[in-house]
Amino acid sequence: MSFFVWLEQTGVSVWVREAPTLWAFPFVLFLHTLGLGVVAGLSVAMNVWILKFAERHPVAPLKPFFPIIWVGFTVNLISGLLLLAAYPTKALTDPVFYLKIGLIMIALFLLQWMRRKIFVAADPSRPLQPDRRLRFTAALSIGLWAGAVLTGRLLAYTYNFLMASDLVAGY
Amino acid sequence: MQALIEWIVATDLSRFVLYNGWVWPISEALHFMGLVLLVGTVSTFDLRVLGVGKGIAPSAIHRLVPFGLAGFGISICTGVLFIAGTPDQYFYNSAFHLKVVFLLAMGINVAFFYSAPFRVVKSLGPGDDAPRITKLSAALSLLIMVGVMCCGRMLTFFRPPMIS
Repeated sequence: MSFFVWLEQTGVSVWVREAPTLWAFPFVLFLHTLGLGVVAGLSVAMNVWILKFAERHPVAPLKPFFPIIWVGFTVNLISGLLLLAAYPTKALTDPVFYLKIGLIMIALFLLQWMRRKIFVAADPSRPLQPDRRLRFTAALSIGLWAGAVLTGRLLAYTYNFLMASDLVAGY
Repeated sequence: MQALIEWIVATDLSRFVLYNGWVWPISEALHFMGLVLLVGTVSTFDLRVLGVGKGIAPSAIHRLVPFGLAGFGISICTGVLFIAGTPDQYFYNSAFHLKVVFLLAMGINVAFFYSAPFRVVKSLGPGDDAPRITKLSAALSLLIMVGVMCCGRMLTFFRPPMIS
């Protein structure tokens, strides 16, 4: 509680939340959307590739897309932390926020697993036969990203308290 | 313009969007999922044309694009719902105007790409470099998608006062 009060009064928090410029909250929000497009977009593309096209085409040449995904993730980690700093009470008192973070962490874990097991280890010149486990993982990853987008978008509607002062008011 | 807005808000579709609380949030989530599909698959293809993941033929990567088209369809449908719900919030919004300009630019770029350069790209094999003109179109495609996302995100901050 006092942590929320303190965080909401820091310079970064006040600037992102209240600075009357498009470079504050609006721009940070745009960066978060851009990163979403890169991280979830390229991840889903990789998973669709495994599900639909890996039988006929190799997967190893797609390795260079993974560092791009991680650049996108860095953008979203930073912009996400800034948005969190702007409205810590709003996010941290909403169970949906923790669900979102959980979904993203599992999706990123599967992404790395797939990179190591499939994209790095595969024969760069030959297609592969995805087994059931790999197909399941790819489909699950797509589902996890869809869940992350859904929960992320719902945060604008599911929060209980916007600011720490709302906690005091008790409603 | 005002007559058009009045006609739109009188439609059943407009009432459906406004009087069911779940429609807007769910449409927003679907709008973003469509964005993810479009941006993910199309940028994978654009990046291949630009030289990333060269070990795979561009024509093979291009098979991802229909998934992006499906995503674009989802975003168009949900976008229509938003406009049906509160047309004045978009028609009098300069961020929306610019977003439409970017979408038109996207259409022109797509039309150009598939008119002639695509035939060359389709004939390329694994490891082949794409011609410069197609690289230009691919880079433009990436920039335009960033522009669409930026304007889309800025809509909220350029909304006219609510007319109720």
